[in-house]
Amino acid sequence: MTIGLPRALLYYRYGVIWEAFFKIIGCKTITSPETNKQILNDGIRFSIDECCLPSKIYMGHVYYLIGKCDYILIPRIASCKKRNDVCVKLNAMYDIVKNTFGDISILDYNVDNHNGLNERRAFINMGRALGCSYAKALSAYKNAKKADKLLYEKKVENQNRLLENNDKLKILIVSHSYNCHDKFLGYPISDYIKKLNCVSVFADAADREKSVVMSRKISDSLYWIYNKESIGSIKVLEDKVNGIILLTAFPCGPDSLVNELIMRKVRDIPVINIILDELQGEAGIQTRIESFLDVIKDRARL
Amino acid sequence: MKTGYLGVDTGSISTKGVIIDDENNIIANEYLWTEGNPVNAVKSVLRAIEKQSGDIAVASVGTTGSARKLIGAMLEADVVKNEITAHAVGTLVVFPDVRTILEIGGQDSKIILIDNGIVVDYAMNTLCAAGTGSFLSSQAKRLGIDVEDFGNIALTSNNPTKIAARCTVFAESDLVHKAQIGHKREDIIAGLCLAVVNNYLNNVGKGKAIKPPIVFQGGVSKNSGVVRAFEQVIGEEILVDKNSHLMGAYGAAILAKNNKKGRVFGFDVAKMEFVTKGYECKKCPNNCEIICFYKNNILIDSWGNRCMNGSVAEIMSVKSQ
Amino acid sequence: MKKIISFPHIGNYHIPIEILLKLIFKDSVIMPAPKTTKRTLELGSRYSPDFVCVPFKYNLGNYIEALENGANVLIQAGGGCRYGYYAEIQELILRDLGYEFKFVKLIGHDLHPLNMFRVCKSIGTNISFFRFLYYLLLVIKMVGFIDRTEAYIRENIGFEVMENSFDKLHAEFFGKLRDISNFTSLAHVTKEYEKAFRKIKIDKPENCLKVGVVGELYTAMEPFSNYFLERELAKNKVQVSRFITVTFLFFQKPRDIKKILKSAGKYLKYTIGADGTDSVERSKTLAELGYDGIIHVKPFGCMPEVNAMPMLNNIGRDYKIPVLYFSFDSQTSETGVKTRLEAFYDMLEMRRKSREDITKFENRVSWS
Repeated sequence: MTIGLPRALLYYRYGVIWEAFFKIIGCKTITSPETNKQILNDGIRFSIDECCLPSKIYMGHVYYLIGKCDYILIPRIASCKKRNDVCVKLNAMYDIVKNTFGDISILDYNVDNHNGLNERRAFINMGRALGCSYAKALSAYKNAKKADKLLYEKKVENQNRLLENNDKLKILIVSHSYNCHDKFLGYPISDYIKKLNCVSVFADAADREKSVVMSRKISDSLYWIYNKESIGSIKVLEDKVNGIILLTAFPCGPDSLVNELIMRKVRDIPVINIILDELQGEAGIQTRIESFLDVIKDRARL
Repeated sequence: MKTGYLGVDTGSISTKGVIIDDENNIIANEYLWTEGNPVNAVKSVLRAIEKQSGDIAVASVGTTGSARKLIGAMLEADVVKNEITAHAVGTLVVFPDVRTILEIGGQDSKIILIDNGIVVDYAMNTLCAAGTGSFLSSQAKRLGIDVEDFGNIALTSNNPTKIAARCTVFAESDLVHKAQIGHKREDIIAGLCLAVVNNYLNNVGKGKAIKPPIVFQGGVSKNSGVVRAFEQVIGEEILVDKNSHLMGAYGAAILAKNNKKGRVFGFDVAKMEFVTKGYECKKCPNNCEIICFYKNNILIDSWGNRCMNGSVAEIMSVKSQ
Repeated sequence: MKKIISFPHIGNYHIPIEILLKLIFKDSVIMPAPKTTKRTLELGSRYSPDFVCVPFKYNLGNYIEALENGANVLIQAGGGCRYGYYAEIQELILRDLGYEFKFVKLIGHDLHPLNMFRVCKSIGTNISFFRFLYYLLLVIKMVGFIDRTEAYIRENIGFEVMENSFDKLHAEFFGKLRDISNFTSLAHVTKEYEKAFRKIKIDKPENCLKVGVVGELYTAMEPFSNYFLERELAKNKVQVSRFITVTFLFFQKPRDIKKILKSAGKYLKYTIGADGTDSVERSKTLAELGYDGIIHVKPFGCMPEVNAMPMLNNIGRDYKIPVLYFSFDSQTSETGVKTRLEAFYDMLEMRRKSREDITKFENRVSWS
């Protein structure tokens, strides 16, 4: 059996777990390719106009996978722990896909801690739905988590090593993983920063747990877990970086408020807010990044 | 003397007027720019069609378009209808089997779906003017060509340039960029036409089942480049009537014919003086912006009020005190 | 310094909120924000983040106008989705503008009277918890009655025989509510007005056009934000039904959420955030009840309601019921809204007529 994994949204957070889990329980996986113009256009075609860009891209990836696998994995995530919700878009992706594409075979799991469904149970249920035993599903989940943890720790370690380097300007990119690591959306920006001989580091490679704790220094009423992690990373890394880019996709609901908060509360370090749009003119964004880096360089010289 | 029915469609960019006879034939028509002054534009339209129609008695008047209310008051119209209904009514007379009406006008665009002669669904663009007539003419100006030639130039292209046209601002910078890196002019123009179509289908046309026969109208339907782009993208024949730019006014005339109130219309309104004055009603915290409409210095209508405080009667009573 | 307590608007709810606060804070001045006008929205938009949803802008505008009028304690509610996060950002923006005030978030993550009582204590009141609970229950009951009354008004105002008869009684009714401080007087007023509203002469045909309004709570409940859409519809002799009310949001929904999800049938497996789930379920129910059309309202970019749109599209197609979508923002053009509403009405009427013609035709055929 082959499970299709759309390379968008939560793939950037859970992809490793998914791949490992399915491999252990004996399923093949196929992952959609990096976002390209075709995927973007398909996504736009199958989305409501007002949807956020990453969710449109997601639809494009789902469309790509139709007919290439037995099931497409569309998880539904509502809340991770108490007071740790996720954007409501992620509550709804399953039903959106179902209502948009009609009769396609979807594999789903539901994480909703408020209603007593934690991730472990969700994975076990999914495993059993695919025909494996409770014990097998549990051990697959545990091993997948372990694999993910190892990789994640390595990522954090690598980034910490980068941060020790003081020859180059270091720019922290605060963004949802599915924005900054998407080949089409955010990658060109970190790539451009590299071309300008600076280093970009990412909010999602700062220590997550530490970030969540530190996020309280900026706001203690925030309840979106992914935003907590990203604003907390500012506090974790602010002494080690020279500037911050808030990378947001239009029209992201949580970011519309959280970015405002950051702009108003983080005042000791240069911050710019870059909004990614499906029709971004690359030239415009490059100019903004260049001038931002120039400002930082001037500051560093003083 | 023949009997005629007048329909006037006053949009933000252009004003259209037609007179039809009892057999729904157009016997006079005029199309000109509103230029920010709908009352004057309608006066010019009236003068032109009076000349064309000769000896005729206008039995009833219908108005439509974004200034339908104002012009309705000015002409004491028998019927004042929104442009979606007017377009549907007009088109159904010319194409009784129509299933889909695509309309792109000066500043807005719409799609109307029809089943068995009944409007079953429609949408109108709401967020921006990208991809409408005024957008195309400003881009034509930027490229230094006449908007009338736009379509024919577009037809010469075999390889339309890809242009991001969801937003006017982005489109302009993208256009400049594409021109600078050496794309051919006709390819850019064809690309713009294609972008207009894609933008339309992704915005107003999103999720709508576009079934043939498809009729395209509004000012932009005169642009053969856009017509071809629609045909390529949708993969169906696109019908364009020779009066496609007048269809709203035509629909208003049909509605007027069906809703006669038995009053005689005189072309002398074109000689009268009409003034609109806006003021903020301070009678309650709503602060409604009330528009008063005067004919030869007499208040004939007002609107914008959300309560009785701002009604015509109330304004008159204040004035007389 | 005397406390001047203020709060933003939504529909007519400023009246019961004011009544409640007056009962709780006897030594303070209770001053609802000045009525929402175009200026409110302009002020709010000027200081709001770029693509935040429009209720944020209205609330912020209400606060600024309240502060201009001397308010020094501002209350914000709180809830799901982005709304729960309004308070912190709004406070920050107002402080950066240089205002001095106390900002209170009335409802935390859970809706517990004890928490609300604690918050009220922190503002400054010496009433006991039991008194507080008494007043709270009183006003909850009052809101329930207001919601029932307004639902009746919505469904019938288009058919009143004498112009303004509903509006006049509505205003009088709110005047009477202001004097209520116990359950007995509430019961009297309830009884009196229940009758009075039903006595208003209406001329309503059995088979009038029926339209249901679904969507996001603020744009559904605050007429200024939806360009008085319900009123425009009523003018055309349409029965307007809307289920989102404060009573629904606070009392029915938390209890019935599982039922609601189930009733949404094949259109939903999971809840899709805030009011999105209800919009889907309600649209399906309205379609099944034989309504002529559905109007879906939301602020531009509202995530839960955008989530609901693919399902609404399917419901529209499956039940052949037209759905009209509105996204409201500070830039929304009133003419555009009116044009689309008028066309919607025309369309419903045309559909109705053709259906009647078909029935007539079929009847004729079967008779002959």
